Amino acid sequence: MLDASRAPIELHAEAGAEIVIGDDVRIEGGASLEAVKSIIVGRGARLRAWCKVIDNHFHIPSDRTARPPSAPVVIGEEADVGERAIVLPGAQLGPGVWLDAGVVIARRVPAGMLLAGSPPRIVKRVLA
Amino acid sequence: MARLRRLVHLLRTDPTGFREGAIGRARARLLFRGHDVGPGIAVLGAMHLSIDGQLRLGARVIFLRGVIPTDLVVHSGGKMEIGENTLVNYGCSIEATQEVRLGARCMLASLVRIADSDGRRSGPVIIGDDVWIAHGAFIAPGVRIGNGAVVAAGSVVMDDVPAGTMAMGNPARTMPLSMAAPTRVGGPAAADSDTG
Repeated sequence: MLDASRAPIELHAEAGAEIVIGDDVRIEGGASLEAVKSIIVGRGARLRAWCKVIDNHFHIPSDRTARPPSAPVVIGEEADVGERAIVLPGAQLGPGVWLDAGVVIARRVPAGMLLAGSPPRIVKRVLA
Repeated sequence: MARLRRLVHLLRTDPTGFREGAIGRARARLLFRGHDVGPGIAVLGAMHLSIDGQLRLGARVIFLRGVIPTDLVVHSGGKMEIGENTLVNYGCSIEATQEVRLGARCMLASLVRIADSDGRRSGPVIIGDDVWIAHGAFIAPGVRIGNGAVVAAGSVVMDDVPAGTMAMGNPARTMPLSMAAPTRVGGPAAADSDTG
């Protein structure tokens, strides 16, 4: 379900890119997904307001005209991406991962972790 | 006739962005009339302006299109300056009560917020040349950012950022750019870099 009643949702897949959204995913207003290569959102995941998911940094510091390679992003089943959280290229969130509000992540996160803070720390491990 | 049809097709599909650029430059001329702005400025998307102070834009400053309008606010007695060839993505909010200065060739990603006063703190915000500020970063009043620095996505920058360094986190800490930038062209995928 895409709920854009309060703010627009941005889904941007460039030519040749894919954004795959599974069953029962909920995306709130202000969320933005931008794929240059691949973003996969697992079944039942929740993307909260104003979160951002990108698979490319779009720029590199030294050269304004160059664009870096993409690193596919995977958001696992039943994962929860908090408000204003930012999921960066190469991030792979396992099933049931919770990102607290404002977390910025660019790594693989094992299933069931709750991450909070910036830079993020593991707060809790939820046993399956 | 065929030539005319081709021209219409090119204008409609706009593969080179010619039409978008022309409309953007016309919109910029309209929006910024009466202000000290250089040539070639383009406003490609929606924008909210409230300029009661002094606004100066260098040549070829570009405001990109997106899902949220960009806000520029200059209060009476305030001064805002944006250097040439600086790129501002959608949904940015820049507010000057005293002074906000952005250098040349900077890149501001979406939803960046810069203000020189927040009711508690105040002080001019001075940002150098070739600075890249990533998505959703917040630059606090009084902060100075040196040339070529990078501010990572979602950072809350409360202290000065030296030239050539990268700031990340909340509150943002800085590290040398050479340690923080694995996203070289042709290099390995950016598995653990933290810009945006």
